[in-house]
Amino acid sequence: MNIVVAIKQVPEISNVQVNPETGTLIRQGVSSILNPFCEYALDHAVRLKALCPDIRITTVSMGPPQARSALMRTLELGADRAVLVCDRKFAGADTWVTALTLAEAIRCTVPDFHLIFVGKQAIDGDTAQVGPEMAEILHLPQISYGTACEITGNNKKIRVQRETESGYQILETRLPALVSFSKGENIRRAPSFADILSSRKKPIDLIRAQDLNIADQELGLSGSFTQVVKIFPPLLKENGPLLSGLSPQETTATIIKLLNTIDVLEKKEGSL
Amino acid sequence: MHEITSTPMDEIPIETIHQINGFDAIKENYPDYLTDESKLTMGAFDFLFFPQNESELATIVNEMIRKKICMTVAGARTGLVGGCVPLCGALISLENLNKTLDLSYSESADEWRIKAQAGVLLSDLATMITGKCFSDLEPDLSPETQKKLIHFKNDPGRYFYPPDPTEMSASLGGTVATNASGARTYHYGPTRDWIRGIRVLTMAGEFLEIPRGKYFSSPGGQFTVYDSKGGHTPIRIPEYTLPRTKNTAGFYAAPHMDLIDLFIGSEGALGIITTIEIALLPWEPKCSVIQFVSSDDKALHLVKSLRSDKRIQLDFMEFYSQNALNLLRKMQAEDSRMVGMPPIPESAGAALFFELGFDPEMDTPDYRALEETINTAGASLTDSWAGYETREISRFKHFRHLLPEKVTQVISERKKIHPEIHRLSSDLAVPDEHLDDIWNLYKERLNLANIEWVGFGHVGNNHFHISSMPRDMEELARGIKIYTEFAEKAVSYGGTVSAEHGIGKIKAKYLKTMYSKDHIAQMKSIKTALDPDLLLNPGNIFTQETCTK
Repeated sequence: MNIVVAIKQVPEISNVQVNPETGTLIRQGVSSILNPFCEYALDHAVRLKALCPDIRITTVSMGPPQARSALMRTLELGADRAVLVCDRKFAGADTWVTALTLAEAIRCTVPDFHLIFVGKQAIDGDTAQVGPEMAEILHLPQISYGTACEITGNNKKIRVQRETESGYQILETRLPALVSFSKGENIRRAPSFADILSSRKKPIDLIRAQDLNIADQELGLSGSFTQVVKIFPPLLKENGPLLSGLSPQETTATIIKLLNTIDVLEKKEGSL
Repeated sequence: MHEITSTPMDEIPIETIHQINGFDAIKENYPDYLTDESKLTMGAFDFLFFPQNESELATIVNEMIRKKICMTVAGARTGLVGGCVPLCGALISLENLNKTLDLSYSESADEWRIKAQAGVLLSDLATMITGKCFSDLEPDLSPETQKKLIHFKNDPGRYFYPPDPTEMSASLGGTVATNASGARTYHYGPTRDWIRGIRVLTMAGEFLEIPRGKYFSSPGGQFTVYDSKGGHTPIRIPEYTLPRTKNTAGFYAAPHMDLIDLFIGSEGALGIITTIEIALLPWEPKCSVIQFVSSDDKALHLVKSLRSDKRIQLDFMEFYSQNALNLLRKMQAEDSRMVGMPPIPESAGAALFFELGFDPEMDTPDYRALEETINTAGASLTDSWAGYETREISRFKHFRHLLPEKVTQVISERKKIHPEIHRLSSDLAVPDEHLDDIWNLYKERLNLANIEWVGFGHVGNNHFHISSMPRDMEELARGIKIYTEFAEKAVSYGGTVSAEHGIGKIKAKYLKTMYSKDHIAQMKSIKTALDPDLLLNPGNIFTQETCTK
């Protein structure tokens, strides 16, 4: 059984700031990491492999040459093979073109895939679109926000526990299928030092634009329906007035007075 | 040169300096200033000052000297032995002396240096160095500073300040006054090794400028300090030999010693360090490894093998005993997310945590020497956790610090039933050849006494933190007796009673375990020479339970 995990390299977001003048990310001193949700997706693939050693895990990423280090991390964590989809012609791709390119790269490199696992979203763009779009492009059933999974139906189906706003659902679908994963109860793995050393002997294949059956005008910025015009931090709000040292009655009266001055309270006869 | 002269600073009107008067006001509005991380509290004190600059500090200190009022100096109050807990008089917090003053490159030493005030926090310093961004320097750029800053920013290398005393919210001044060390002392040495200069306010009310490598003790073991008013103070260096371990107990002493080393680690007994020049080292990528082994004995065997193989260069070696791993397993069962690591392997009977150079970009890294050594010690690199990304290195570090935090939590729970109970923690270090002896002693005595305990800490330096969690007052009393025995035994092995926490007020009673009466008298004579009225940091190092002023 072949499982493909599509992954993205992202900046370690807790450190990233936006330059207010240029609207670009300040990347100096910011490290790049494997998107945590992609790591959770890979973790589920590795768990399945532990139960069924015949499973072969391939990770695929579209990105610049530096994305190789995120793929290396997937090899350390248990992937068997990694594919970097990298070409200048891919630059500027929106979510749709990224999904199209990744889907085609998967068709080319792992034509007999049974499952595609993805993280629910990347922590930099937060769009949560690429996974579902890949499922549409590849005509696959998809289950999103998974937190646990098992292969069922004599290796022909997957059963997924997925998060909803009110709890969990258990869904099952036939293979091939695409599943996106949330964090759930997942705690990131720690590879052994032996894993880190041996992963450097595993292959990372390179896929270029010419290797794909997609016309150049459908790739990158020229093929994109959408474009990021500007990135900017949200406007900082001024702190509101802080009341202290007043009794509860005084506090309530002061708040009502303040609210009345900005006219947000519904006026009723006999009210304050 | 063994003679040095201090220089005065113009005072300003004392009434212009912000101060909090009266213990009641301090207690009500500044309760954090009554203690440090040791949670020790002492008597009432009358004044609290937050000097904004050296001039304010000099004014306060001279006023206290004239009025013969005792002064205790505080940095970030992260110490573990009550060094900044006032006994009486005034508390002077240096937290607002927190400016970065200069950046320079020493051609002769081929190193970058930063000069900063004592109140700068290590965490802020690390952020500035990593990001190469010095906001204090930048608003007031002289052409010369601007040139140095551009030079530093354009240098493609990354740099770091090696001392890492675990508590990064510590102040730079505090770490110099205590010669702080930590896990990385194994490879980089203690704070002392990275200090290139200090400025000290003496109890003559004047400043000494002490660069490293300028003032050395005379052949007779003496320094002479002159002040601007014509006073001169001879200081005789103690005759003892320091232990062959890392050590923070007692004043530094060595033949032909550098004056700077007398002040570093003197726990504020001799003067107030106001400015420090530190050296930086080029940063190299690292990999953190937690290597699991089958037992405590196997772990110690591995420590000795790793230490003796010169092909293997580790930044630090930290220990998790079997009972420490069991405590962590219990935490994982209670709340695995809080621990943040995968389940500890069932087969693990102990672990070593170490860090080594690792370039993730290398396709064929060669770690055969490490693999051989680990295999020879009956372990395997497959039974390890490893990580080299910044977030992974932080995650491993967090895992290491969970242990002391858990011990604190257990003790807090037990305090609800026995308010007087406290943890017992060892800070002893011994020379390499006594690693097994001291470990076996700890294990045997504490297990025999049926006291709940965990062992962890800086095993690379033969420096365990043995933390006991007494369940009742009777166990506490037995534990105290056993820990006194541990201290005596460590000293008999040629070790120290305080490898990194310092003596402060809490461990002052242990000083006589390590030093003879004559040697303590020699230390006291330095103290009385530089602080004749015993006004500065009373109760630190030398036992003093009540104020004599």
